[in-house]
Amino acid sequence: MSGAVQSERRERLERSYRLVLAWYPKSFRHENGEEILGVLLASAEEGQTRIGVAESAALIRGALRMRLRPGPGRLPWTVFVAVRLMCAGAVVQFTTLVTLLATSASIRMAAARGGTPTHSLTFTLVGEGILLGLAVAMWLWLAWANGRRRDPARFVSLAVFLLYTMGLVRDLSGHALAYAPVEMSVAIVAWAIGLVTIVLLFIPRSWPYYRQVPELARQ
Amino acid sequence: MQEATFLILTALADGSQHGYGIISDVARISDGRVRLRAGTLYTALDRLRADELIDVDREEIVEGRLRRYYQLTPEGGHVLAAEAARLQANATVALSRLRLARGLAT
Repeated sequence: MSGAVQSERRERLERSYRLVLAWYPKSFRHENGEEILGVLLASAEEGQTRIGVAESAALIRGALRMRLRPGPGRLPWTVFVAVRLMCAGAVVQFTTLVTLLATSASIRMAAARGGTPTHSLTFTLVGEGILLGLAVAMWLWLAWANGRRRDPARFVSLAVFLLYTMGLVRDLSGHALAYAPVEMSVAIVAWAIGLVTIVLLFIPRSWPYYRQVPELARQ
Repeated sequence: MQEATFLILTALADGSQHGYGIISDVARISDGRVRLRAGTLYTALDRLRADELIDVDREEIVEGRLRRYYQLTPEGGHVLAAEAARLQANATVALSRLRLARGLAT
Protein backbone atom coordinates (compact mmCIF):
# COMPACT_ATOMS: atom_id res chain seq x y z
CA MET A 1 0.00 0.00 0.00
CA SER A 2 1.42 3.42 -0.94
CA GLY A 3 2.27 6.03 1.63
CA ALA A 4 -0.29 8.41 0.10
CA VAL A 5 -3.13 5.89 0.52
CA GLN A 6 -2.08 5.17 4.09
CA SER A 7 -1.93 8.86 4.87
CA GLU A 8 -5.38 9.44 3.32
CA ARG A 9 -6.87 6.58 5.36
CA ARG A 10 -5.34 7.93 8.53
CA GLU A 11 -6.73 11.38 7.82
CA ARG A 12 -10.22 9.93 7.24
CA LEU A 13 -9.99 8.01 10.49
CA GLU A 14 -8.80 11.09 12.33
CA ARG A 15 -11.74 13.11 10.94
CA SER A 16 -14.22 10.47 12.13
CA TYR A 17 -12.62 10.49 15.61
CA ARG A 18 -12.81 14.29 15.73
CA LEU A 19 -16.52 14.17 14.83
CA VAL A 20 -17.25 11.96 17.84
CA LEU A 21 -14.91 13.92 20.13
CA ALA A 22 -17.02 17.00 19.32
CA TRP A 23 -19.61 15.54 21.72
CA TYR A 24 -17.33 16.36 24.66
CA PRO A 25 -17.51 19.74 26.43
CA LYS A 26 -15.26 22.33 24.84
CA SER A 27 -13.05 22.76 27.91
CA PHE A 28 -12.48 19.00 28.17
CA ARG A 29 -11.65 18.81 24.45
CA HIS A 30 -9.26 21.72 24.82
CA GLU A 31 -7.42 20.00 27.67
CA ASN A 32 -7.57 16.36 26.58
CA GLY A 33 -8.76 16.21 22.95
CA GLU A 34 -5.40 15.85 21.22
CA GLU A 35 -4.19 13.37 23.85
CA ILE A 36 -7.29 11.16 23.40
CA LEU A 37 -6.96 11.44 19.63
CA GLY A 38 -3.36 10.21 19.89
CA VAL A 39 -4.50 7.19 21.95
CA LEU A 40 -7.36 6.45 19.54
CA LEU A 41 -5.02 6.53 16.53
CA ALA A 42 -2.45 4.39 18.33
CA SER A 43 -5.18 1.84 19.17
CA ALA A 44 -6.58 1.73 15.60
CA GLU A 45 -6.19 -1.35 13.42
CA GLU A 46 -3.91 -1.26 10.39
CA GLY A 47 -5.82 0.24 7.44
CA GLN A 48 -8.82 1.23 9.57
CA THR A 49 -10.70 4.18 8.09
CA ARG A 50 -13.84 4.36 10.24
CA ILE A 51 -14.44 4.46 13.93
CA GLY A 52 -15.86 1.22 15.36
CA VAL A 53 -19.29 1.00 16.99
CA ALA A 54 -17.92 0.00 20.41
CA GLU A 55 -15.34 2.81 20.32
CA SER A 56 -18.02 5.35 19.32
CA ALA A 57 -20.34 4.13 22.07
CA ALA A 58 -17.58 4.45 24.71
CA LEU A 59 -16.71 7.97 23.53
CA ILE A 60 -20.34 9.15 23.43
CA ARG A 61 -20.99 7.63 26.86
CA GLY A 62 -17.87 9.38 28.17
CA ALA A 63 -18.95 12.66 26.56
CA LEU A 64 -22.41 12.48 28.15
CA ARG A 65 -20.86 11.76 31.54
CA MET A 66 -18.57 14.75 31.15
CA ARG A 67 -21.48 16.98 30.21
CA LEU A 68 -23.67 15.75 33.07
CA ARG A 69 -21.00 15.59 35.75
CA PRO A 70 -21.52 17.96 38.63
CA GLY A 71 -19.54 21.19 38.69
CA PRO A 72 -16.74 21.84 41.17
CA GLY A 73 -17.58 21.32 44.83
CA ARG A 74 -19.20 18.43 46.54
CA LEU A 75 -22.95 17.87 46.11
CA PRO A 76 -25.10 17.08 49.13
CA TRP A 77 -26.42 13.53 48.84
CA THR A 78 -29.94 14.82 48.19
CA VAL A 79 -28.92 16.72 45.04
CA PHE A 80 -26.54 13.95 44.01
CA VAL A 81 -29.39 11.39 44.07
CA ALA A 82 -31.78 13.86 42.40
CA VAL A 83 -29.34 14.42 39.52
CA ARG A 84 -28.89 10.65 39.08
CA LEU A 85 -32.68 10.21 39.09
CA MET A 86 -33.01 12.86 36.38
CA CYS A 87 -30.57 10.85 34.26
CA ALA A 88 -32.69 7.76 34.97
CA GLY A 89 -35.78 9.73 33.87
CA ALA A 90 -34.03 10.56 30.58
CA VAL A 91 -33.21 6.88 30.08
CA VAL A 92 -36.86 5.88 30.72
CA GLN A 93 -38.18 8.43 28.20
CA PHE A 94 -35.48 7.57 25.66
CA THR A 95 -36.35 3.87 25.94
CA THR A 96 -40.00 4.76 25.34
CA LEU A 97 -39.03 6.80 22.28
CA VAL A 98 -36.96 3.94 20.84
CA THR A 99 -39.81 1.49 21.54
CA LEU A 100 -42.27 3.82 19.81
CA LEU A 101 -40.02 4.09 16.75
CA ALA A 102 -39.38 0.34 16.66
CA THR A 103 -43.05 -0.58 16.91
CA SER A 104 -44.55 2.21 14.79
CA ALA A 105 -45.02 -0.13 11.81
CA SER A 106 -46.99 -2.67 13.84
CA ILE A 107 -49.03 0.13 15.45
CA ARG A 108 -49.94 1.38 11.96
CA MET A 109 -50.94 -2.12 10.83
CA ALA A 110 -53.08 -2.66 13.91
CA ALA A 111 -54.67 0.76 13.46
CA ALA A 112 -55.34 0.10 9.77
CA ARG A 113 -57.10 -3.16 10.67
CA GLY A 114 -59.19 -1.22 13.19
CA GLY A 115 -60.20 1.36 10.59
CA THR A 116 -58.22 4.30 12.02
CA PRO A 117 -57.17 6.77 9.27
CA THR A 118 -53.43 6.44 8.60
CA HIS A 119 -52.77 10.18 8.35
CA SER A 120 -54.23 10.93 11.79
CA LEU A 121 -52.21 8.09 13.31
CA THR A 122 -49.01 9.39 11.68
CA PHE A 123 -49.75 12.83 13.11
CA THR A 124 -50.24 11.34 16.59
CA LEU A 125 -47.07 9.22 16.40
CA VAL A 126 -44.90 12.11 15.19
CA GLY A 127 -46.34 14.35 17.93
CA GLU A 128 -45.68 11.68 20.54
CA GLY A 129 -42.12 11.21 19.26
CA ILE A 130 -41.38 14.95 19.41
CA LEU A 131 -42.79 15.19 22.95
CA LEU A 132 -40.65 12.24 24.09
CA GLY A 133 -37.55 13.77 22.48
CA LEU A 134 -38.25 17.05 24.27
CA ALA A 135 -38.77 15.17 27.54
CA VAL A 136 -35.35 13.47 27.19
CA ALA A 137 -33.71 16.83 26.47
CA MET A 138 -35.51 18.42 29.42
CA TRP A 139 -34.42 15.69 31.88
CA LEU A 140 -30.80 15.99 30.71
CA TRP A 141 -30.80 19.78 30.92
CA LEU A 142 -32.29 19.71 34.42
CA ALA A 143 -29.65 17.17 35.51
CA TRP A 144 -26.90 19.36 34.09
CA ALA A 145 -28.23 22.62 35.56
CA ASN A 146 -29.00 21.25 39.04
CA GLY A 147 -25.57 19.61 39.14
CA ARG A 148 -24.10 23.08 38.59
CA ARG A 149 -25.96 24.80 41.40
CA ARG A 150 -28.28 26.74 39.09
CA ASP A 151 -31.02 27.64 41.55
CA PRO A 152 -33.58 28.60 38.84
CA ALA A 153 -33.25 25.04 37.49
CA ARG A 154 -34.80 23.78 40.71
CA PHE A 155 -37.89 25.91 40.15
CA VAL A 156 -38.02 24.96 36.46
CA SER A 157 -37.96 21.32 37.66
CA LEU A 158 -40.92 22.05 39.91
CA ALA A 159 -42.87 23.82 37.14
CA VAL A 160 -42.23 20.97 34.67
CA PHE A 161 -43.27 18.43 37.29
CA LEU A 162 -46.54 20.27 38.00
CA LEU A 163 -47.34 20.50 34.29
CA TYR A 164 -46.55 16.80 33.88
CA THR A 165 -48.77 15.95 36.85
CA MET A 166 -51.67 17.91 35.36
CA GLY A 167 -51.28 16.11 32.03
CA LEU A 168 -51.10 12.73 33.73
CA VAL A 169 -54.21 13.42 35.84
CA ARG A 170 -56.05 14.51 32.69
CA ASP A 171 -55.01 11.32 30.85
CA LEU A 172 -55.91 9.08 33.80
CA SER A 173 -59.31 10.74 34.22
CA GLY A 174 -59.90 10.00 30.52
CA HIS A 175 -59.34 6.28 31.24
CA ALA A 176 -56.03 6.29 29.33
CA LEU A 177 -54.76 3.49 31.59
CA ALA A 178 -57.37 1.16 30.07
CA TYR A 179 -56.53 1.73 26.38
CA ALA A 180 -52.79 2.48 26.64
CA PRO A 181 -51.62 0.54 29.73
CA VAL A 182 -47.93 0.27 28.80
CA GLU A 183 -47.57 3.91 27.83
CA MET A 184 -49.39 5.08 30.94
CA SER A 185 -47.34 2.77 33.17
CA VAL A 186 -44.14 4.34 31.82
CA ALA A 187 -45.66 7.80 32.36
CA ILE A 188 -46.43 6.88 35.99
CA VAL A 189 -42.86 5.62 36.50
CA ALA A 190 -41.51 8.90 35.05
CA TRP A 191 -43.89 10.84 37.31
CA ALA A 192 -42.74 8.88 40.39
CA ILE A 193 -39.10 9.63 39.51
CA GLY A 194 -40.06 13.30 39.14
CA LEU A 195 -41.83 13.32 42.51
CA VAL A 196 -38.83 11.88 44.39
CA THR A 197 -36.54 14.31 42.53
CA ILE A 198 -38.63 17.33 43.53
CA VAL A 199 -38.79 16.20 47.17
CA LEU A 200 -34.99 15.77 47.22
CA LEU A 201 -34.36 19.18 45.63
CA PHE A 202 -36.61 21.03 48.07
CA ILE A 203 -35.91 19.36 51.41
CA PRO A 204 -33.94 21.57 53.84
CA ARG A 205 -30.66 19.70 53.33
CA SER A 206 -30.54 20.86 49.66
CA TRP A 207 -31.15 24.56 50.32
CA PRO A 208 -27.63 25.58 51.46
CA TYR A 209 -26.17 24.06 48.26
CA TYR A 210 -28.26 26.37 46.07
CA ARG A 211 -27.58 29.36 48.33
CA GLN A 212 -23.81 29.21 47.68
CA VAL A 213 -22.40 31.43 44.93
CA PRO A 214 -22.29 29.37 41.74
CA GLU A 215 -18.71 28.46 40.85
CA LEU A 216 -17.52 28.48 37.30
CA ALA A 217 -18.89 25.51 35.44
CA ARG A 218 -16.20 23.24 34.09
CA GLN A 219 -17.34 23.52 30.53
CA MET B 1 -14.24 0.00 43.39
CA GLN B 2 -15.00 -0.99 39.80
CA GLU B 3 -12.69 -3.50 38.18
CA ALA B 4 -11.59 -1.03 35.47
CA THR B 5 -10.61 1.52 38.13
CA PHE B 6 -8.72 -1.12 40.10
CA LEU B 7 -6.83 -2.20 36.98
CA ILE B 8 -5.97 1.39 35.99
CA LEU B 9 -4.57 2.09 39.47
CA THR B 10 -2.69 -1.23 39.33
CA ALA B 11 -1.19 -0.27 35.96
CA LEU B 12 0.19 2.88 37.60
CA ALA B 13 1.41 1.13 40.75
CA ASP B 14 5.01 0.68 39.62
CA GLY B 15 5.49 3.90 37.70
CA SER B 16 3.90 6.53 35.51
CA GLN B 17 2.34 5.64 32.16
CA HIS B 18 0.63 7.44 29.28
CA GLY B 19 -2.91 6.66 28.08
CA TYR B 20 -2.04 4.05 25.46
CA GLY B 21 0.43 2.45 27.88
CA ILE B 22 -2.34 2.10 30.49
CA ILE B 23 -4.71 0.49 27.95
CA SER B 24 -2.03 -2.02 26.91
CA ASP B 25 -1.02 -2.72 30.51
CA VAL B 26 -4.60 -3.26 31.67
CA ALA B 27 -5.08 -5.80 28.84
CA ARG B 28 -1.87 -7.53 29.96
CA ILE B 29 -2.74 -7.54 33.67
CA SER B 30 -6.23 -8.93 33.00
CA ASP B 31 -4.86 -11.50 30.55
CA GLY B 32 -6.76 -9.85 27.69
CA ARG B 33 -10.11 -10.04 29.48
CA VAL B 34 -10.51 -6.27 29.98
CA ARG B 35 -10.03 -4.09 26.93
CA LEU B 36 -10.34 -0.45 27.90
CA ARG B 37 -11.67 1.95 25.28
CA ALA B 38 -10.22 5.45 25.10
CA GLY B 39 -13.58 6.98 26.08
CA THR B 40 -13.82 4.77 29.16
CA LEU B 41 -10.18 5.38 30.11
CA TYR B 42 -10.36 9.16 29.98
CA THR B 43 -13.66 9.28 31.90
CA ALA B 44 -11.97 7.20 34.61
CA LEU B 45 -8.75 9.27 34.54
CA ASP B 46 -10.76 12.49 34.90
CA ARG B 47 -12.62 11.09 37.92
CA LEU B 48 -9.43 9.72 39.51
CA ARG B 49 -7.70 13.09 39.07
CA ALA B 50 -10.71 14.87 40.63
CA ASP B 51 -10.53 12.43 43.58
CA GLU B 52 -6.76 13.09 43.79
CA LEU B 53 -5.90 9.41 43.45
CA ILE B 54 -3.70 10.13 40.41
CA ASP B 55 -2.00 13.17 38.96
CA VAL B 56 0.07 14.11 35.93
CA ASP B 57 3.74 13.18 36.25
CA ARG B 58 4.98 14.85 33.05
CA GLU B 59 3.98 15.81 29.53
CA GLU B 60 5.71 15.17 26.23
CA ILE B 61 5.02 16.10 22.64
CA VAL B 62 5.24 13.03 20.41
CA GLU B 63 4.64 13.39 16.64
CA GLY B 64 3.05 16.77 17.30
CA ARG B 65 0.61 15.45 19.89
CA LEU B 66 0.48 15.92 23.62
CA ARG B 67 1.26 12.81 25.65
CA ARG B 68 0.62 12.91 29.41
CA TYR B 69 2.10 10.47 31.88
CA TYR B 70 -0.10 9.70 34.87
CA GLN B 71 1.11 8.52 38.28
CA LEU B 72 -0.46 7.38 41.54
CA THR B 73 -0.62 9.92 44.35
CA PRO B 74 0.20 8.73 47.89
CA GLU B 75 -3.57 8.69 48.55
CA GLY B 76 -4.08 6.62 45.39
CA GLY B 77 -1.46 4.16 46.62
CA HIS B 78 -3.26 3.79 49.97
CA VAL B 79 -6.64 3.27 48.29
CA LEU B 80 -5.20 0.67 45.90
CA ALA B 81 -3.43 -1.17 48.72
CA ALA B 82 -6.63 -1.25 50.81
CA GLU B 83 -8.69 -2.55 47.86
CA ALA B 84 -6.06 -5.18 46.98
CA ALA B 85 -6.00 -6.36 50.63
CA ARG B 86 -9.79 -6.59 50.67
CA LEU B 87 -9.86 -8.63 47.44
CA GLN B 88 -7.06 -10.85 48.70
CA ALA B 89 -8.89 -11.51 51.99
CA ASN B 90 -12.07 -12.42 50.10
CA ALA B 91 -10.17 -14.68 47.71
CA THR B 92 -8.40 -16.40 50.63
CA VAL B 93 -11.71 -17.17 52.33
CA ALA B 94 -13.25 -18.41 49.07
CA LEU B 95 -10.31 -20.71 48.31
CA SER B 96 -10.08 -22.10 51.84
CA ARG B 97 -13.80 -22.88 51.84
CA LEU B 98 -13.55 -24.57 48.45
CA ARG B 99 -10.62 -26.66 49.71
CA LEU B 100 -12.63 -27.55 52.79
CA ALA B 101 -15.66 -28.52 50.70
CA ARG B 102 -13.49 -30.68 48.41
CA GLY B 103 -11.86 -32.28 51.44
CA LEU B 104 -15.28 -33.14 52.89
CA ALA B 105 -16.47 -34.54 49.57
CA THR B 106 -13.53 -36.98 49.27
